[in-house]
Amino acid sequence: MSSRRSRSRASSGGASRISDEQISDLVSKLQTLLPEARLRSNDRVPSARVLQETCSYIRSLHQEVDDLSDRLSELLATADVSTAQAAVIHSLLM
Amino acid sequence: MAAKRTAPPPANPNPNRRRVTSAADDSASAPPSKRMLAFHFLRALSRIHSSTPVPRRTRTIRRAAYSSMARAASPRSAWSRALLRQVRVRRAVRSRRAVLMRRRVSAAPAPPLGASRSSVSAGQTSVAPPVRTPPPRQEGEPARADALRQLIPGGNGMEYCSLLEETADYVRCLRAQVQLMQGLVDLFSGQ
Repeated sequence: MSSRRSRSRASSGGASRISDEQISDLVSKLQTLLPEARLRSNDRVPSARVLQETCSYIRSLHQEVDDLSDRLSELLATADVSTAQAAVIHSLLM
Repeated sequence: MAAKRTAPPPANPNPNRRRVTSAADDSASAPPSKRMLAFHFLRALSRIHSSTPVPRRTRTIRRAAYSSMARAASPRSAWSRALLRQVRVRRAVRSRRAVLMRRRVSAAPAPPLGASRSSVSAGQTSVAPPVRTPPPRQEGEPARADALRQLIPGGNGMEYCSLLEETADYVRCLRAQVQLMQGLVDLFSGQ
């Protein structure tokens, strides 16, 4: 939608002349990153929708980081760190 | 000259060059290795466990998550550099605030610390350095990009095209970090 407008408008800034194709390429790449639940269909979704979904997805990821760090702080306080750390390191680095 | 891509070009001077997904592109936009993420985060965690008192841990852990994610990511990404810059700025502001607080306690009521305090205690990753004039909006860029700019660290200084790339990279890294933390929580709670 909005990408159509840029083609008709005269290019004022020569340095930022990026083709619509590149932008729609990037937008579709973003779309593939979104979790399956947010994808309407596998083909054309308006780019504004993709951006909106990306924003809400990033916000939900931030929220998850907050929650997980909350739980981690609780768990760190109580758990026996030395044996747990050994197990964690072992599983994560193998 | 065209083959060498040492730094991501913010303003593409050569509009004819197509950004074809080449091997270099793939390696740059690949998510950080799980190992590097785990290494940085675990190291930060062990440091937190030994030093920080319990009540402030959540915030510290969250900050450690973001900075370890930024460190594990490739320095080519603008968002990782912006994140690390924010960490440095925040640390400088906090140390300055500590000095001011001490001075305030000993002396008469000082001018309010409202300005610096609010920027630090916001706690969000989108805390921006003091003055940053955003570039003029480009043609064809939808209005929603503004919200995206606020979410991505350092997004205010980017062009639309680089913003999209950085977003993809950021989402990948963020997702990997969340998976890592979730795995840690599962492991710890399963003990």
